[in-house]
Amino acid sequence: MTQATLDVTDAVDGAESELKPDDLRAQVEQLSRRQGEPDWLLAFRLASLEQALGMEWWTGQEESWRRTPRERLPRRARVGHVSGGSNGTATSVSQHVFAPDAHAGLVHQIDGRVAASDLDEQASAQGVIILPLSEAAREVPSLMQEWLGAVGPPLDRYDAFGRALWTQGVFVYAPRGAVLDESLFYLVTQDVQRGDHWHYTLVVAERESQVKLIDGGDANDRRAQLDETPLIHASVELIAEDGAHLEFASVQRWHRQSAAISTTRGRVGRDASIRVTTAAFGADLDKQRIDMDMSHDGGFAEIRGVFVGDGKQHIEHVTRQHHKGVGASSDLLIRGALTDESQAVQYGLIRIEPEGQKTNAHQTMRNLLLADGAGADPIPMLEIEADDVKCSHAAAVGPVDPDQLFYLQARGISPQDAERMVVRGFLAEIADGVPDAHMRDVIDELVEIQLETKAVAP
Amino acid sequence: MTATPPLFEIDDLQVSVADKQIVNGLTLSLRPGEVHAIMGPNGSGKSTLANSLMGHPRYTVTGGDVHLQGESVVEMSPDERARAGLFLAFQYPTDIPGVSMINFLRRAISARRGEEIPVREFRQVLNEVLGRLQMDEQFVRRYVNDGFSGGEKKRAEILQLGLLQPLVAVMDETDSGLDIDALRIVSEGINTFHSDDNAILLITHYQRILRYVQPDHVHVLIGGRIVESGDASLAERLERDGYEPFMERTTEGVLSS
Repeated sequence: MTQATLDVTDAVDGAESELKPDDLRAQVEQLSRRQGEPDWLLAFRLASLEQALGMEWWTGQEESWRRTPRERLPRRARVGHVSGGSNGTATSVSQHVFAPDAHAGLVHQIDGRVAASDLDEQASAQGVIILPLSEAAREVPSLMQEWLGAVGPPLDRYDAFGRALWTQGVFVYAPRGAVLDESLFYLVTQDVQRGDHWHYTLVVAERESQVKLIDGGDANDRRAQLDETPLIHASVELIAEDGAHLEFASVQRWHRQSAAISTTRGRVGRDASIRVTTAAFGADLDKQRIDMDMSHDGGFAEIRGVFVGDGKQHIEHVTRQHHKGVGASSDLLIRGALTDESQAVQYGLIRIEPEGQKTNAHQTMRNLLLADGAGADPIPMLEIEADDVKCSHAAAVGPVDPDQLFYLQARGISPQDAERMVVRGFLAEIADGVPDAHMRDVIDELVEIQLETKAVAP
Repeated sequence: MTATPPLFEIDDLQVSVADKQIVNGLTLSLRPGEVHAIMGPNGSGKSTLANSLMGHPRYTVTGGDVHLQGESVVEMSPDERARAGLFLAFQYPTDIPGVSMINFLRRAISARRGEEIPVREFRQVLNEVLGRLQMDEQFVRRYVNDGFSGGEKKRAEILQLGLLQPLVAVMDETDSGLDIDALRIVSEGINTFHSDDNAILLITHYQRILRYVQPDHVHVLIGGRIVESGDASLAERLERDGYEPFMERTTEGVLSS
């Protein structure tokens, strides 16, 4: 483990980020050496950095960026902070909002430092791995080298920088046929005083294996007033080989002033499945990109998104269900509730290539508006080039059903409680996709907290 | 014998839906221990009456008053009415996906009592009423009315009636859509609930539920007002002769609704 402190956060600056390539190259090299990474990993970082430098930032003209508030998502790339073991803010797993009860294994990181790491016997006996990314590079180098970036080239500049600049991350690997009952957990505590964070999550489920990872992001000090918006990027790569079943749930409750952007990519093998559930509660702006590659026959992908917006939060989902295999299915279900002046955008594309016959692909986006100032913009898109497919999409924006409220009120429940019950129920149906009972309860609690603060906050 | 004061009084009630008057001066008085049946053809204002008594926001009371235990309820919100002891068994209970029956029932019973019901007591009461209605315990794990059959929905309404122990229960076409076995179970549920301390207002199109739940008074509702009142034999007359003879007595303008 790294003992010294590396702090190079102020080397690159500017909202429109005037990048200084040579400085960045030097910083990435320094970061990699400090973490004791092997040469091939440094090479991977530097190659990703060159890819990033060769790309452009978004301008807002692109279709999937048109509705993103320009001034609230920084276009910059700074190497984040990594602290040594004794220098980090003391935060134990139990203080983390998502601290699990039962689990098969766990990695907890704060500020780039590994705060906790464990794996139960059943999992380790089957050869399952969950390790902080830097550690995995040293301990299982050939495995990690095989899979890092295997999901495909970076999606855009953020994603490319994510591969180059990450200071935190996890590697999860399930060998052929391994089956875990309990979930694995990757918990990150955002140190709000330390600026930008780049996370990297890599999950590989080999043939016929079954693995569940829950990725929880929390902040160490939710009340701190920050001088600058922290940028948090997560690169998530999910690979399910033939016949494997991979479940991934991400729940974030970052500091309220943060700008969070994530790039989640899944590669679904033949007769394999990937289920992704994401829940957004924190951050000022949260933009999630989820991209499912359905190149193989008979695969199944499910994307579930749940959120509650309050204040002026902007919550955005940009998704793609990309079908090339025969007889594969995919389903998108996004549900959110919006209070105050919060805004939501869902831009969902189902793309079916000519060879993607017998595809079954669906999208549903539903937004409940709980205040006059709240708004939502669901945009389902279909691009279908095969002729024998079943596709559907549905999008809705509206208030809570008055008949549901009346029914509950007719049983003595106050209008406020009735609305909360309906909204919690509406969202719980999506959170049911999270493969852990405790985590579902936590999500329900966070929904409740978000709905409650609405009544108090201006 | 001193006259018991009425438990529930509807006095010259007038109700509009979207500026159209549907209930036209309806007067009715229920004493503790009584069962009243209101019978009427389609479009006579049965459901408007039921929903407006509970305070549905779509229905506007334009005149008259309603008293529960001497207190006017027309200015009360639906939840206030429920907590005061008024109950509506819905004709079409609303489904609320994601909200479990058990969570909903616990909230409702706590609201009615004005304090949180202890878990053990809740379970005890719940199991008792479930057993009486021949309902499986697993039933309450399901979401409120979500995917329920017609019979299950009506049974769930009676389950709530039994748990909430209201003073006045308005039953809006509780018999519709029930097969003969379900009708018997539901009726038994109503009869078990019924006591000298509460009153029941059965709103129905058909006479068949009245074979199981004996009414003290029967009223014929046509054109939004009561055109005839009598004892249980009035229901039999309706069964035999239909609503036709009563309709002739109403003014044409009202009948058109």
